[in-house]
Amino acid sequence: MTERVAIVGVAQTRFAPKRSDVNYGEMAYEAISQVLKDTGLALPEDIDSAISCSHDIWDGQTISDIGITDVIGGHLRAEEKMAMDGSTAVFYGAVGILSGEYSCTLIMAHTKMSQTNRHIVNNVAFDPIYTRMLGFDFTSAAALQARRYMYKYGITREDAARVVVKNLANAKRNPCASQSGDFTVADVLSSPAVAPPLHKLDIAPDADGAVALILASEERARKITDKPVWILGIGTCYDAHYLGDRDLADTFALEKAAGRAYAMAGIKNPRRSVDLAEVGDEFSYQELLWLEGLGLCDRGEAGRFTASGATAIGGKLPVNPSGGLLSGVPANVAGLNRVAEAALQLRGEAGDRQVRGANIAVAQGHTGFCGQHQCVVVLGN
Amino acid sequence: MKRNVAIIGGGQTYHAARRHDVDQAEMVNEAVRAALKDARMTIDEIDLVILGNMEFFEGVHLTDCWLVHGSGAYGKQGVKITTGGTVGATAVCAGAHHVASGLFDKVLCIGFEKQEEGDTGAILSGVANPLWGRSMAGAAVGYFAMMGSSYIANWGATEEHSAMVAVKARQNARKNKYAHLKLDITIEDALNSRMLAWPIRMLDMCPASNGACAMILADEKTAKARSKKPVWIRAMETAHNEQFELDWRDVKTERLIFSKAAAGRLYRKLGVDDPAKYFDVFEIYEPATWAELIWYEDLGLCGPGEGFRLIEQGKTNIDGPIPVNPSGGVLSTNCIGASAMLRVWEAALQIRGDAGEHQVPKDVRRAMTTAYGGTNWTVMTALSKTLED
Amino acid sequence: MATKDKEWISIPMTVDVPYRFAAGGYMTKCLTELRDNGKIFAVECPKCKRVQLPPRVVCAECHVKNEKWVELPHEGTLMNFTIMYLPLTDPTTGKPHEPPFVYGSVRLDGATSVLDHMVEVEPDMDKVWVGMRCRLVLRPKEERIGDLSDIRYIEPLPGQKKPQTKSR
Repeated sequence: MTERVAIVGVAQTRFAPKRSDVNYGEMAYEAISQVLKDTGLALPEDIDSAISCSHDIWDGQTISDIGITDVIGGHLRAEEKMAMDGSTAVFYGAVGILSGEYSCTLIMAHTKMSQTNRHIVNNVAFDPIYTRMLGFDFTSAAALQARRYMYKYGITREDAARVVVKNLANAKRNPCASQSGDFTVADVLSSPAVAPPLHKLDIAPDADGAVALILASEERARKITDKPVWILGIGTCYDAHYLGDRDLADTFALEKAAGRAYAMAGIKNPRRSVDLAEVGDEFSYQELLWLEGLGLCDRGEAGRFTASGATAIGGKLPVNPSGGLLSGVPANVAGLNRVAEAALQLRGEAGDRQVRGANIAVAQGHTGFCGQHQCVVVLGN
Repeated sequence: MKRNVAIIGGGQTYHAARRHDVDQAEMVNEAVRAALKDARMTIDEIDLVILGNMEFFEGVHLTDCWLVHGSGAYGKQGVKITTGGTVGATAVCAGAHHVASGLFDKVLCIGFEKQEEGDTGAILSGVANPLWGRSMAGAAVGYFAMMGSSYIANWGATEEHSAMVAVKARQNARKNKYAHLKLDITIEDALNSRMLAWPIRMLDMCPASNGACAMILADEKTAKARSKKPVWIRAMETAHNEQFELDWRDVKTERLIFSKAAAGRLYRKLGVDDPAKYFDVFEIYEPATWAELIWYEDLGLCGPGEGFRLIEQGKTNIDGPIPVNPSGGVLSTNCIGASAMLRVWEAALQIRGDAGEHQVPKDVRRAMTTAYGGTNWTVMTALSKTLED
Repeated sequence: MATKDKEWISIPMTVDVPYRFAAGGYMTKCLTELRDNGKIFAVECPKCKRVQLPPRVVCAECHVKNEKWVELPHEGTLMNFTIMYLPLTDPTTGKPHEPPFVYGSVRLDGATSVLDHMVEVEPDMDKVWVGMRCRLVLRPKEERIGDLSDIRYIEPLPGQKKPQTKSR
């Protein structure tokens, strides 16, 4: 990129199984008012566009950016809603600034999973003619992906369980996390079966919450903060929709999205360059699968890589030091939380979960079941 | 914008109340193929795909993910935008941002709706806050009825004036081979159509259509190399209004509202003093007849309270001095997610001179489009024939 | 184009998504005051002084937090209206509002915002007009449940006549 875009501020609400004290607009305002306070920026004068990220069907409101127009500063001004994972809002926000149309963009993702039913919402993402009536939700589709991945690459339930143990222990250090604790591999294996091979602890729980993040052009960023986090590379890619069109153990879309992001960042060997990863572990095995798709370890090696301790907070490539999605991050907010956590690490503001000496981080988010649309954001300080 | 952006191709489906012959992916594909053909391109050349539609209007969550085989997004970069009725125009703006950023040279933008597959009326009632107003279920008809009643009470217009708008739209649509409601109607027909919510009658409202529109945007170098008639996107503006204050329907409001705020900024960017003279044609988003009259005023084509005089004098007719919606507009074709994109595409066709029977009979060098959605939002674009216009 | 003689399959499906919406801090206060005390509370922006109903966390114009509560009278002026001839379904009950009925926006005295509700008058153009003075009619206290239906409707203040105007 000839011009550069920086993340200049990040704020997150606490994630909780149910926030009955706020509606989604008020919840969004918690994150927005905090990020404005942290950066010293004011609405409307300092920010010239906004991007929100949520889904009408989760929000129970048609054209649901109506409910956040006031708090995001949309009155008489530009606001665009993306019905995708929050990582893609960072992609689009960076594009908007590079286009020269905007110099400072407020991005916010929110979801209250508690106000509706995850299985119904998931099910209507399946095409209505062919697969929906089979009653799929994202968990049952993920079970197929997990099984295929285990079969093709010899990954075991224990390998995936180690991701859960690590992430829930990491989450103890994250004050925003919805769930955390000291679990053993045996605890994960013996948790109730939901859609084998996926058991309860293999699955990210429902949560309510919001994340806000501010992007700025290089010129603006220098004035706003002395700790800008630069967006070095971005990439996205769609895979096929029908599960039968894909080998679910393959990471076609993620490899393409990552390849585009690394190329833009000038990264030839991600294993050498990347110090830290925040990935979309909606299901335990996905952390392993996505690490391989991101080229951070060989295909089929992510289980052993994790077992070696390499992905722990003190390891050579810490993965999800925040606790990841398994610690409870709402749908849609998921990817923006990945980018936000990676940015906090690079700013040295990750508190007890801080990783030492990280200069380059990769954040990954996905939309749709089995990671159909992938987005990769490479950050540097 | 850091780089100039041109529309180098586009296409639309035919629009109808029933399209049982295609599923959603096939319908989108019809528009995508038309746009690629128009641009003399293959899908392999496209760098990124932007999809816009109303969420869940056709009963599918994450339509962008399902439709990859129709949109051509499989294996490509892509984003999904959902900003309500404005979304087709937002998708064009998003496309322009991607091209202007320097990261992408050729971007495919798609807007679509297959309204027959969902319950649009019920879903539009969901626009109201769940705890404040949703139980009233006024939907779009109730909202535009209040706008009409305010217009009549404050400006002294009559139902005949809204009927003139209804007739102009459907008579223009008869010249547009893709339009949905091609009705050979008279003022009397409009005045005698069924009352829905006073003063809105059946012919005062837009239909529920199925259809899709696709456009291909490119950077200046690509546009000049590949297109004989590129149309340039010169300015874009987006403005919302706050959630609970629906004062577009209060015609005497003295507050600055979304429509005037966005138009004011767009005119300042381009140095427009008199929009009625500066632009050769307008394609505006009028879900109801009264909204068209209010757009005339908010865009500065006439003074406040004078919109109904413009239609009365025939000034906005296809052959008038200020042609508005020669395509027949939203009143004739409303596949919501595509409606705002159709405004931009129809304006581009006018500049290219390719609008066929509904081509306005003058040299069109500049055009302006508006969109409308949500609780009073707009996305506007200004297009031109050359970068010097 | 579709041909008449060919069969096309279409699959009927009903998607029923249940919701339970948190009213949040501002609406909870507003709705409990309405239910328990029969009072209408709005918020006043500390900067622009707009009195906003329903109450909300942020003044959209000034982007400052709303913290001052203002009680509004139950009387106001009809700003606009329609006579609805469509049987629109109330999604909170699943039942249609039987047409024709009058539906309008009232600006309670002292408020900047308008309140949309049913207007309890005959659906007759001579019985309802912009500028008509109105008041809110609430459910009896023991029947109130804490949502907007605790306001049953808007009714005209007695003793008014429609002013004569040039048009209509």
